[in-house]
Amino acid sequence: MRNQPDARELLGIARETFIARILPALPEDLRYTALMVANAMVIARREIEAGEESAQSELTRLRGLFGESAHDVHGFDLHSALADRNRRLARDIRAGRYESDNSAVLAHLRRTVEEKLAVSNPKGLSGK
Amino acid sequence: MQLDEPTIRERLNDFITHASGGKSVRAVRFERMSGGAVQENWALDVELEGTVRNWVLRTDAPAAVRESLTRDHEFAVLRAMQEARVLAPRPLYLCDDATITGRRFFIMEWLPGVAAGHRVTRERALVPDPARLARELAANLAKLHNIRPPRPALAFLDTMHAQENIAHYRRYLDSHPEAHPVLEWGLRWCEIHAPAIEETTFIHRDYRTGNYLVHEGRLAGVLDWEFAAFGNPLEDVGWLCSRCWRFARPDLVVGGIATLEDFLPEYEHRSGRQVTADDLRYWQVMAHVRWAVIALQQAQRHLSGTEPSLELALTGHILGDLELEILNLTTGT
Repeated sequence: MRNQPDARELLGIARETFIARILPALPEDLRYTALMVANAMVIARREIEAGEESAQSELTRLRGLFGESAHDVHGFDLHSALADRNRRLARDIRAGRYESDNSAVLAHLRRTVEEKLAVSNPKGLSGK
Repeated sequence: MQLDEPTIRERLNDFITHASGGKSVRAVRFERMSGGAVQENWALDVELEGTVRNWVLRTDAPAAVRESLTRDHEFAVLRAMQEARVLAPRPLYLCDDATITGRRFFIMEWLPGVAAGHRVTRERALVPDPARLARELAANLAKLHNIRPPRPALAFLDTMHAQENIAHYRRYLDSHPEAHPVLEWGLRWCEIHAPAIEETTFIHRDYRTGNYLVHEGRLAGVLDWEFAAFGNPLEDVGWLCSRCWRFARPDLVVGGIATLEDFLPEYEHRSGRQVTADDLRYWQVMAHVRWAVIALQQAQRHLSGTEPSLELALTGHILGDLELEILNLTTGT
């Protein structure tokens, strides 16, 4: 059992404090760096919140594309399974295997990008 | 080694005295300027025969990016721009001797103005007449695209057309520890839609908001020539008009400052070249793929431990935005 509050909570309150108390006291030339620090903290927090869920659904979609059956994997196995399927997808796309029938692969790519953006920059999801 | 150490300053004084042929030369200010993840720029104010000159000393950052030009080549590019009357800083002295500051450098004239993309696209007072600035950017770009090979003084430049770009980015992706299916999708699209015939001119390859100075609302000069090459001039047009370089104003196609109608007629008129909607879209896709590959490289510089940097680390997190735009542009969304 870890001590509470957990990593997500700590990052959240550390960032709030940083923005409320430290940022206003910084000279102008440090502002950009400070905003980068705050941004890194919020990305890390969102990544913790997202957990394994998006990686799981990405793998499920990739297996669907390749006609594989689903089974549960977690942690390191999940990431190596994903890396493996993504290498195959990248190779297939480069080889021109999705020229005529591409709606499924495009739907997958879009979903994967949206899941990445949900962590990296949720504002990017709304803008077109 | 820090460039502002007293011994280095002294050697620098000697170099400038010698290079300028001046008798009394004294550096009165020497400070690192902000920006420049690839190169370091130092503000250098020099008292030369009683007059203060504002210069910039440009040197390699400790971890230089392989693909960018060396300082002597960049110096030659600036000279060529000077001859062609392209708006750019005037090159003054090149120092090939690494023993003076520990790194090679050159000195160029300092130009007044603001470059920062988030300010230029946000502060109306900086750009009171955006259409005029867009026309100036167009005229200047057409001027540099007027420089064509062969140019003996620029013989060191690579030639990059669409297919060379594609092959180059694929080679990088093959060396990367992870696969990037969306970038592969964008590259495949670029391969299928590659122009059959391409012009070859001098191209800047980083002509965008953030890399030009705006002074009193006018274009004062274009900076950062280290990626210059010979290639398809439309690559520069696509880069300038890509969503990833619009900062605070994604709705304004031309660098977040103006509309296409403000820019394109002037560029077409000055260059004698027609830019179709398909041309523009093609080079916008290529621009996002290229920026994505550079972002991966930047993140890798941090991840590899050679250059721990928050800015480089965060660059890895713009990939999603670039990939979404690649999908939007290539699927007609």
